[in-house]
Amino acid sequence: MAKIYSGRDGVMQLGGVTLAKVVNFAFQSSLETLETTTLGESVRSYSPGVLGYSGNASLLYYKDDAGSINTTNLLNKLIKTGTDGVSSSDTVELTFRWVDGTDNNDIKLTAYITSASMGASTGDIVRADISFVATGALSAATIS
Amino acid sequence: MAFPTLEPTSRTFDSGDYPVKKYQAQNGAEVRILYGSNRTNMKLSLSYANISDSNAELFLDHYDEMKGTYDTFDVASVNQNDRAKAGWEGNTDALGAGISGARYRYEGPPQVSQVRPGISTVTVNLVGVL
Repeated sequence: MAKIYSGRDGVMQLGGVTLAKVVNFAFQSSLETLETTTLGESVRSYSPGVLGYSGNASLLYYKDDAGSINTTNLLNKLIKTGTDGVSSSDTVELTFRWVDGTDNNDIKLTAYITSASMGASTGDIVRADISFVATGALSAATIS
Repeated sequence: MAFPTLEPTSRTFDSGDYPVKKYQAQNGAEVRILYGSNRTNMKLSLSYANISDSNAELFLDHYDEMKGTYDTFDVASVNQNDRAKAGWEGNTDALGAGISGARYRYEGPPQVSQVRPGISTVTVNLVGVL
């Protein structure tokens, strides 16, 4: 059956668990191109380079009935005490899903959180904005 | 083994000079003595960006065959179809060393930078000598 997807169909998961109060997410893939144009040519030519993935998401800063905050396991990769910084184990398993009934269209990846920001302003709901960059290949890409 | 016949992605050329000795008097006057009739020490730098590793290896093989910086060879000479002067629309003898009776040798080893698996960038620097 034909379907137009909307924001209501979007799901973001962390470690296989759906995150609550996701306002938006965006996923981007980009291919580095290597120019191979030589001196005798007038039109540019390219060879494929390295493929990469990145994106960002915005979540409402939300505490559930059990007292758990939905953004904890994202923000604590960057916002933490100590002098150790970020280690290679500070990755997150993210899944971006577009749902059509029982049909899930997924992009799944392992990523580093590269930026995290929060704030508070009068008359506005507190949000946490994160950006990520994927490391390694996608573990699922069932969007086609 | 001839110099690899690949089109460079960039090229710089320094036309060298004739063997001239200069003397300057204390009053600033300069005397120049010409010691030869052939221009020499031309510099040709060729870059081959994002080529396959097998093509990059051709330069390493040629460098080895030339015994490094020891042997001389022709590049970009008149009627030589090595594509080193690709894109040049001036006289065909302008970029070669042969017009002065000189030939090129390697100024140093080819520089190979790995870009990604199977793809490298190579830069060779040549100097014209008699």
